[in-house]
Amino acid sequence: MTGQPGEDYREISFDDRMEGTEFRVSERAHITVDTEVCDSCTVRSCLHVCPAKLFVPRADGGILFNFEQCFECGACYQVCDAEGAITWTYPDGGLGVVFRKG
Amino acid sequence: MAEQPLVVAALSPADPLGGADQAALEHTLRLAEALGGRSLAVTVGPAGAEEVLRQALACGVQRVLRIDGPAAADSDTTARALVAGLGLVPDLLLCGDRSSGRGTGATPAFLAARLGAAQALGLTELLLREGELTAVRRIDGRRREQLTVPLPAVCSVERGSARLRRAALPALLAARTAEIQVATVALPEPRQPVRLGPARPYRPRPLVLPAPVGTDPLARIRALTETDRPRTAARVITPAGPEAAVDELLGYLREHGYLAHLTREDDQC
Amino acid sequence: MTEPSYAGPVSASALLQQPPPARDFDVLVVGAGPAGSAAALAAARAGCSVALLERGPYPGSKNVYGGVVYGRILDELVPQWWEEMPVERWVTRRSTMVMTADQALTVDFRSQRWGTAPYNGATAHRSDLDGWLAGHAVAAGAVLVPATVATGLLRTTAGTVVGVRTDRPDGDLTAKVVIACDGVNSFLAKEAGLHPRQDNARHLTLGVKETLALPREVIEQRFGLTGRDGQDIEILGCTRGIPGGGFLYTNLESVSLGVVVGLPGLAAAKVRPEELLADLKAHPAIAPLVRGGRQVEYAAHLIPEGGYDHLPELAGDGLLVAGDAAGMCLAAGIWLEGVNFAIGAGMYAGRAAAAAIGAGDTSQAGLAGYRRALERSFVLADHRKLRKVPGLVLSERMQRQYPGLICDLAEGLFEVDNPRPKPGVWRLLRTAVRRHDISPRRLLADAITGMRAFG
Ligand SMILES: Cc1cc2nc3c(=O)[nH]c(=O)nc-3n(C[C@H](O)[C@H](O)[C@H](O)COP(=O)(O)OP(=O)(O)OC[C@H]3O[C@@H](n4cnc5c(N)ncnc54)[C@H](O)[C@@H]3O)c2cc1C
Ligand code: SF4
Ligand code: SF4
Repeated sequence: MTGQPGEDYREISFDDRMEGTEFRVSERAHITVDTEVCDSCTVRSCLHVCPAKLFVPRADGGILFNFEQCFECGACYQVCDAEGAITWTYPDGGLGVVFRKG
Repeated sequence: MAEQPLVVAALSPADPLGGADQAALEHTLRLAEALGGRSLAVTVGPAGAEEVLRQALACGVQRVLRIDGPAAADSDTTARALVAGLGLVPDLLLCGDRSSGRGTGATPAFLAARLGAAQALGLTELLLREGELTAVRRIDGRRREQLTVPLPAVCSVERGSARLRRAALPALLAARTAEIQVATVALPEPRQPVRLGPARPYRPRPLVLPAPVGTDPLARIRALTETDRPRTAARVITPAGPEAAVDELLGYLREHGYLAHLTREDDQC
Repeated sequence: MTEPSYAGPVSASALLQQPPPARDFDVLVVGAGPAGSAAALAAARAGCSVALLERGPYPGSKNVYGGVVYGRILDELVPQWWEEMPVERWVTRRSTMVMTADQALTVDFRSQRWGTAPYNGATAHRSDLDGWLAGHAVAAGAVLVPATVATGLLRTTAGTVVGVRTDRPDGDLTAKVVIACDGVNSFLAKEAGLHPRQDNARHLTLGVKETLALPREVIEQRFGLTGRDGQDIEILGCTRGIPGGGFLYTNLESVSLGVVVGLPGLAAAKVRPEELLADLKAHPAIAPLVRGGRQVEYAAHLIPEGGYDHLPELAGDGLLVAGDAAGMCLAAGIWLEGVNFAIGAGMYAGRAAAAAIGAGDTSQAGLAGYRRALERSFVLADHRKLRKVPGLVLSERMQRQYPGLICDLAEGLFEVDNPRPKPGVWRLLRTAVRRHDISPRRLLADAITGMRAFG
């Protein structure tokens, strides 16, 4: 299906999309990414599958990761097969995403 | 100070604990440890309020007390109930600042007055330094000031001033079935709060003017709208003091017929 | 004190030299989703002492689904459940929509029988639903421990599971049987070695969902509903050929719009999930239904869809696995049923644990009654019967070719091309098959697979 960029439905920005979801952000980063491993990764699946768009390409070709607004879904560690790139854990009890509808 | 100083957390009965109440509880635990004293969590509310006391027990307070009362009381009633239920003046009593249950944040002030204790409210930091209770609070212009608080004292803390520790699992499980001490106190009849009626739309008060004389319509309109008089430049008054300013203003208004219904005596209020 | 440990793909069991002399609980259930709450409820009813651990601040806070729950299995656990379950709408219209970029064929079934007791499907929010079911477990005597992550199993050197470690201080809990209901990522079942293979991503789909607020009357008007009636639309062909599908469900004052796509396909297509959602939202068959909806929550979650052929071992010494943790979700295009399977599996797990404890044998053999009960019930009977369906629905053909074929057939049938006479169905089919480059042999084979599966 083709949607032209600029059509109004596309205009909801990613930030607006995430705005309704509550996150109780922990001090501990529950996911860490060894971006040195990413430097030699060519597939970069995480860029596409992470529904919260927490993996972003850097201008210099590297990967930037931010743990805060994470759905804790697990898609990233499931698609990344580079050994040691992603260290994945659940946030501490009671913290992290809190769905009010789900 | 008693042998074993008593540090009390007065929690709002709303479950789950709000952020400010969580901070108050954490400060209570820390300061009781630092002072080598005892810790107690109290709340005023119906049986349902015991849930927050169980959370406090799980986090490590030594004793809890529920003072039986309505779920939502005004600040003064809550303070009276707390004072009566405690039955003594604790060395330090901590509250959350503007916790969900008491939106005005007035309870700690009432408490301090009733207990005859010092008060320090809206704190962002609170700790024991060289045997003295030191605190920090925000003041205007994003500045902060440091306070040294003598005991006994009532302090309220902001949410985020301390992160509540996690309950250990055995304490959490034990707290579920722990017996909760209940105090019943005689509360004054709840005072009738001010009640609000519906707001009426804005209606300007009529200004009664004498009918203009003459028959020429234009002249009558000009007389009514006072555009027939010579204009006086606005007078800026810079009197010596407030008293003089009031005299000036009242004199001016009376001169222009606005205060006809006031007598001279009313002026003297 | 040991080093803090966290729950994740590398979490490891804590080994105990001696089995603990006494256990804190008979049964320890990890995860207060539908599987966990049903397990805790069944075990508590059978007289066991039960703890129910949940990592979120309240049950449901970590959980996402499309939005339709089939409650029949609850008849056994909560008689007259429909009188108290927190329902948004009762599904009386179930539609399947097959679409291409500018076509859509909808099969729309309506039954007013589903709008009265004992009902069929209902829409509900997970935060309400999961909390409600957990409440029943608590009322039956289970101890709910929220905001607590099980970070690993406690095992004896012989491998028997005797409890879990949690992320709270002094957080070890022991039990005679642990029931892992910890959802699709199930680190506990993996840690116990119950999932044999590591290429999990192949059998995982990612679901993303928008909850769009709309006034009640608008929903009733647009979807042709009255009162508490609701509609459930499953959509095929809306994922740019990536294996998956979409859904649109009506709540009381919001609609849930989502897409579900295979992880490997998504990664390979280099498409982001919200782009698929945006496509769907702009599709001429969907746009008028959701227009003006204000987004109140965006959510995402994984779904296991391996089906019967990829089930893990369901029991170990002192351990049972139920629900998504065991891949028991039926996720195949036009079906998205997991909650009912989770409740069923949890219930049988709770009962099997209680029976094993009663008989004094909680080894893998002692717990084998669980699998037998599942095979006899709909949980594994349906999975067994539909074992070929996930593969079929998620196949290239079903995703890329058949939607176009079906829509072209319908278009050919309904288009009035005067003065030419109406074409015969066979001619239409032949043209469409050729146009979409479909092998007639494969088409026939798929038709037979489908018929066998459903027959
Ligand atoms: C987008 C989408 C749409 C869906 N649509 C439908 C639908 O319309 N109808 C339907 O019936 N099904 C649907 N499903 C499937 C359904 O959601 C699942 O099958 C169902 O939730 C499984 O229940 P469960 O109890 O096994 O797991 P979950 O519901 O995932 O519950 C697992 C619980 O365990 C907790 N947990 C996990 N790990 C730990 C730990 N280490 N310690 C403590 N707690 C832990 C979690 O917080 C969670 O509460 C859908 C799924 C998705 C993702
Ligand atoms: S996280 Fe994994 S998939 Fe993503 S760039 Fe790094 S190595 Fe590649
Ligand atoms: S767990 Fe899910 S939301 Fe979080 S970073 Fe990984 S892919 Fe993104």
